[in-house]
Amino acid sequence: MTNSPLKIGLIGAGGISNSHLPHLLTLGAEVFVYSEDGAPELVARYGGTAVDTLEELLELVDYVDVATPTFTHYALVKRALEAGKDVISEKPLARHDSEAAELEELAASLGRKLYPAHVVRFFPEYVRLYEAVKSGSLGELAVLRFSRSGAFPTRTPWFADRALSGGIIMDQMIHDLDIARWVAGEVTRVSAVSSQAGTAEAPVEAAHVLLTHESGAISHVAGLWGPAHLPFTTEYSVTGTLGSLEHSSAAERNYVSNLAVAVEQGGLLPDVDPAENPYFVELREYTQSFAGGAEPRVTVKDGAAAVRIANAALTSLETGQPVDLTEGK
Amino acid sequence: MSTLDRPLKIAVMSFAHTHARGYVELLTSSGSISVLTSDPGVHPEGELRGRALAESLGVDYVDTFEELLAWHPDAVIITSENANHRAHVELAAAAGAHILCEKPLATTLDDGKAMLAAAEAAGVMLMVAFPVRFASTFAHLKADYDAGALGQVLSVRGSNNGKVPSERAWFTDPALSGGGALVDHVVHIADLLEALMGSAPLSVTAVTNRTLHAERAKAETAGLVTISYANGVIAAIDCSWSRPATAATWGGVKLTVTGTGGTVDIDFFGPRARGLDTLTGRPIESTYGPNFDEALLGTFLDAVRAGVQPQPDGNVGLRTLRIVLAAQESALTGQTVSITED
Repeated sequence: MTNSPLKIGLIGAGGISNSHLPHLLTLGAEVFVYSEDGAPELVARYGGTAVDTLEELLELVDYVDVATPTFTHYALVKRALEAGKDVISEKPLARHDSEAAELEELAASLGRKLYPAHVVRFFPEYVRLYEAVKSGSLGELAVLRFSRSGAFPTRTPWFADRALSGGIIMDQMIHDLDIARWVAGEVTRVSAVSSQAGTAEAPVEAAHVLLTHESGAISHVAGLWGPAHLPFTTEYSVTGTLGSLEHSSAAERNYVSNLAVAVEQGGLLPDVDPAENPYFVELREYTQSFAGGAEPRVTVKDGAAAVRIANAALTSLETGQPVDLTEGK
Repeated sequence: MSTLDRPLKIAVMSFAHTHARGYVELLTSSGSISVLTSDPGVHPEGELRGRALAESLGVDYVDTFEELLAWHPDAVIITSENANHRAHVELAAAAGAHILCEKPLATTLDDGKAMLAAAEAAGVMLMVAFPVRFASTFAHLKADYDAGALGQVLSVRGSNNGKVPSERAWFTDPALSGGGALVDHVVHIADLLEALMGSAPLSVTAVTNRTLHAERAKAETAGLVTISYANGVIAAIDCSWSRPATAATWGGVKLTVTGTGGTVDIDFFGPRARGLDTLTGRPIESTYGPNFDEALLGTFLDAVRAGVQPQPDGNVGLRTLRIVLAAQESALTGQTVSITED
């Protein structure tokens, strides 16, 4: 922890800000929140100070955390970089490849740090996978499967608009697209299929993405935004020449109760120890880097690459054919 | 056709497929079925085949298929190498016997079509051996699907992972097997989706590699396939031979079906008692659950007795074969391949 408190500007007061603000405060940061909507309510819940304008926010802080809808990332990150701030951007780094590339170049030319919040890299089960692969204990990777399922995010309408959010592939599956690239290396070929059903009030969407990695390894990433009752679950299964590793979040729940009367826990009782919360670990790693610490495990290059893979999958949906990612390189 | 007043006569053509042993054991244990087997030819060194296997199973044996078919079996079970299915189906059909053919139906579309034509011309029934659809868990899924509990189905994930076949050399010889993991394992889940939805597959994309067992691989040992169906459902199948030879069990088949009503997950071969070996620390996994081959065979024998075509029939075999062939083409060309049914 630095001597003088970090001054961080959080932009956005939606769903993900609830996973950022308390951890920024735990880190000892002084947090100012600007949002078009909901900033006073958010700071009333966790702490921090709401401000009325973006200009005011940028005057007050050293670092900026952009936690807004996908289609606004590019302009806000650009604005913060140009104001001389190091920036955390919620994933995806930007909606379009060109925007992500421009942000990457802008950060470099301004000498600013820009980290995309691919938080799954901080979940311990995915860290275990990365470590197993990097240690060589799985040998040469052959075939990888990833799956992520949960309820369709209907709390705000922009998720359902593929032009704004990039749909399930750009919003949800980008986590596992990033993990696949993290553990199995650069991606050379991408194909995708998707399916939508349900109603405007109760939509469901699913997609399958196939990746070919430069190494020859192949990956399947499955995503589901299902009906409202569906619990959030993740799975992976990775096999190499020397071993395999798999994980199912549903199978690894280690507190199972069947109580006649459920006791009110009074507020949000975390599922994991707060000190090990992946969002906390992520924000700690990023802010330590801002303060002169080591480069974090996710860089702006990774964020831009994940956007390219996701957009290649979206192109494949449109053309009905795989997309070669090595072209134009 | 009325129930026969004599024991059924069932012939088994070839012991090439390891399932031949299981079928013979089931047939002979019934006590009410006459069984005759034949496995002619020169067999690979070290493989228990031919008369020696018949003797170890205690089943009658003849040296040639001519003798086998001259016995006038009511039905023939064909457990030869995949590439030989056509020739043997044509022989059996010409002899007027109903046919249970091991999966996959064939290794080429021409062969598959010729087999259906031969069965039709001879007026015999052709069934393809897809045992997993006979699992009670699948019946449960089908009931949920038919009752609308899943709502509108939109996505399926399936995996059929096993060890690289080693008991019979031909499984990894593309000239006889028709390929690698794609031809071996895609068809089981494709059959389940056929039985569940009966929708036409429209397009297929596949990626493969030979990273596992690279030293002996003559075809892909890992494969991932996506299929788009006419009803809007998308499916993904992992068909890889990704279980190590040292694993406690052969592998398994898993299926997740998703609809607007929710999800169903099935681990078809999942239930097992688990422990650890004290000396090595290696897992002990003792699987249990019904033998799906028994239900499959029972359905075939009932159909032969009743003279009513059972499912999965030759058309299912052909449709699932088209998916495999499209997947092989996709893996080769890097393109998504459309399926047209003619």
